[in-house]
Amino acid sequence: SQRKRQSSLRLATPSLEPPLCYFLVGQTNLKSPQDIQVYVVNTNFTLRWKYTGNDTDVTFSAEYRWFEDFKVDGTEWKKLPGCQNDTRTECDFSSAITEYYDKHHLRIRTERREEVSPWSSIFEMTPYDIAQIGPPGIELQSINGVIKIKVSPPEANQVQKMWIDDLSFKYNLVIWENSSNAEFRSQSIFPTDKIYDLAPDTTYCLKVQATYPLESKEGLFSPVHCIKTTHKVNVTFCATNVSILALNMKFHLHWDNRYKQHVSYNVQYLSGYLKKLYDDYSVKWLNVPGCENITDTQCNFSSIITTVSGTFYLRVQAMIENNKSCLSNEVKVIPLVTNEIGPPGVKVDISDDVLLHIQIYPPGGSESEVMRDNYDFSYRILYWKNSSNNEEEIKMKEIKQTIGTISDLTPSTLYCVKVQAFSKAYNKSSHFSKEECIKTPGDKILPLVILATFVTAVVAVLLVAAPLIFVLYQAYSKIKYVFFPSCQPPLNIEGFGGQLFNSPYRPTAEEPIENFSIIETIITEDLNQIDFKDYKHSKQSSRDSGNYSNDDDTSGSKASEEMLEKEIV
Amino acid sequence: MNDFGLILIGLILCTTTISSLQCNHLPLQQRKVIENSLQLLDKMGKKFPQQCLREEMSFRFPEQVLKLGQREAVKMAIEEIFHHIFYIFSKNLTLAAWDGTALEQFQNGLYQQIEQLEACVIKKQTHYFQKKEVNRLKLKKYFQKIDCFLKDKQHNLCSWEISRAEMRRCLQLIDKVVRRLNN
Repeated sequence: SQRKRQSSLRLATPSLEPPLCYFLVGQTNLKSPQDIQVYVVNTNFTLRWKYTGNDTDVTFSAEYRWFEDFKVDGTEWKKLPGCQNDTRTECDFSSAITEYYDKHHLRIRTERREEVSPWSSIFEMTPYDIAQIGPPGIELQSINGVIKIKVSPPEANQVQKMWIDDLSFKYNLVIWENSSNAEFRSQSIFPTDKIYDLAPDTTYCLKVQATYPLESKEGLFSPVHCIKTTHKVNVTFCATNVSILALNMKFHLHWDNRYKQHVSYNVQYLSGYLKKLYDDYSVKWLNVPGCENITDTQCNFSSIITTVSGTFYLRVQAMIENNKSCLSNEVKVIPLVTNEIGPPGVKVDISDDVLLHIQIYPPGGSESEVMRDNYDFSYRILYWKNSSNNEEEIKMKEIKQTIGTISDLTPSTLYCVKVQAFSKAYNKSSHFSKEECIKTPGDKILPLVILATFVTAVVAVLLVAAPLIFVLYQAYSKIKYVFFPSCQPPLNIEGFGGQLFNSPYRPTAEEPIENFSIIETIITEDLNQIDFKDYKHSKQSSRDSGNYSNDDDTSGSKASEEMLEKEIV
Repeated sequence: MNDFGLILIGLILCTTTISSLQCNHLPLQQRKVIENSLQLLDKMGKKFPQQCLREEMSFRFPEQVLKLGQREAVKMAIEEIFHHIFYIFSKNLTLAAWDGTALEQFQNGLYQQIEQLEACVIKKQTHYFQKKEVNRLKLKKYFQKIDCFLKDKQHNLCSWEISRAEMRRCLQLIDKVVRRLNN
């Protein structure tokens, strides 16, 4: 009946635990369990507590509830299976917990026959957060001085898993020589891996733990396994010094071989992610196309780098006549990290406003788009004045675009430029491009101005001077004609008599015939005729350049007139 | 986080050596990985089959995990999502009958990002641990649901196609967030 009353009280106040009420209802001296702890490894849940009472014949029972899907209200309190009527101070309640991401509450109380203690304080937990990663499984094999290890995940073959994503585990190996004062060596390994750098014919002991890097969880170590390494067989024809040379996304593998006889090679590659899986990846190596059965000690494996996102491993298989082969060490390729950036192309130009334009061609040639996309290039431009005095300061400019402009140039100077491409994100820079030099033009402007001004002036002068000269000449000749006429008689009158026919004055053919008719009429008349003749003479002679015919003395009689007529005719 | 966990953190911080790795390229690489992954997801299979529409499941991705309030927490959530997607696509894919090459490139790209971040995570662990972890647990529950769904359907074609569509939605969300993170 006491129990019934207790349970009814509990129902009435489900979320409160008023110890006072219990004291009122049922007398008990039993102490509640204390210091509750939950220990979880994978999906194994262990509840531990301390009981400080003196009573020996007590048992313990636990209850639990959980908050489904992150809700605020929890389920009802339920009996915790596996933790009922326990005599020891610990119990296994793995079967009760199925939701590892939900918050759970636990509580225990001491019981003795009809007596019960108050419930302990509530222990709150989220299974996933307090769970520990259990030990992984190990398989070892000793081959040719090397230990081959195969790790199986902590919950391999379990249906119910705490660690669903077993691919996220990273395994930490601790290995040491099985002798006193041995040094511990710690390294990260893949689920299937080989341990090198070991002394032959030596016993080594090792243990492995699984870690969950994203949450910085370190799991429990596996039990220690010991194994003896075998004698190392020295194979003479193996490829050695396997290295990678990559420029502008063209990848080349190089190696050496000291073996003098004929060796042929097969270059093989493996996608990086396959090492992360638990399957045996040794069967998944593929031959690099174009590098099968070659004798050259180098291989262009750019064809297998289909995307820049993706790690690859490469190795060289060396083969000699009797089908014996040897595998070299592996090299890892992270395309964008392994690759080296080549120099960019540069072209320089000077525009009229004395600005130096630099056109940059991103490195990579055919692969330039891929590189530009992934490296996010910036360019470093170095420029300087190339004078005989080598003390000129080298200036630097960094740009993101492929066109750079430099101003503040001094004229008539030879400038040289070189450009380097770099990726800030990948901390990679290319070599500098070839130097490109260009001379800034001299001060073109001033000479041009002078020339233009001179030409204009000459033209202006000519335009003004020519008409002026012409006008002046015209004025001069008019004035001369008016004020300073020539006084020389006409030559034909001077040489009158016998020189008439020799006179230089000859009538020209241009004389109009009409004049002749006028002269005839004049003869029949008197003095007026002579005047007319004279007038005619002067008219005729005025055609001469300056010889004026004047009135002569009229001593010339009619005979002269007749002579004249004849002459004229 | 209880005391045990804190002690664990303390031990890890004391015993692990800080490596001076080049980690600057990770954000840029992350953007590229997401872009490539989306393209490859489309490339590896054909259009969503009609017959699988009946079986459509609602997984309810916890979008609050990608709320831009806390940059570091969001970055770590994205890395965790990569882990989960990598895990899911490593399962038995024979019934899906997808393009093997595209699938390999998809996995290889995700793995490269995961591996490189692992090397750099030592620097970031303190930030992540101190944040509220409920969102991380919600994320795990989401992927657990998908994993269980695939197992229940025995990894048949429709279950794979539904999962692929779901992962595509997830990556598109991440793509949007990453673009805003870096602007």
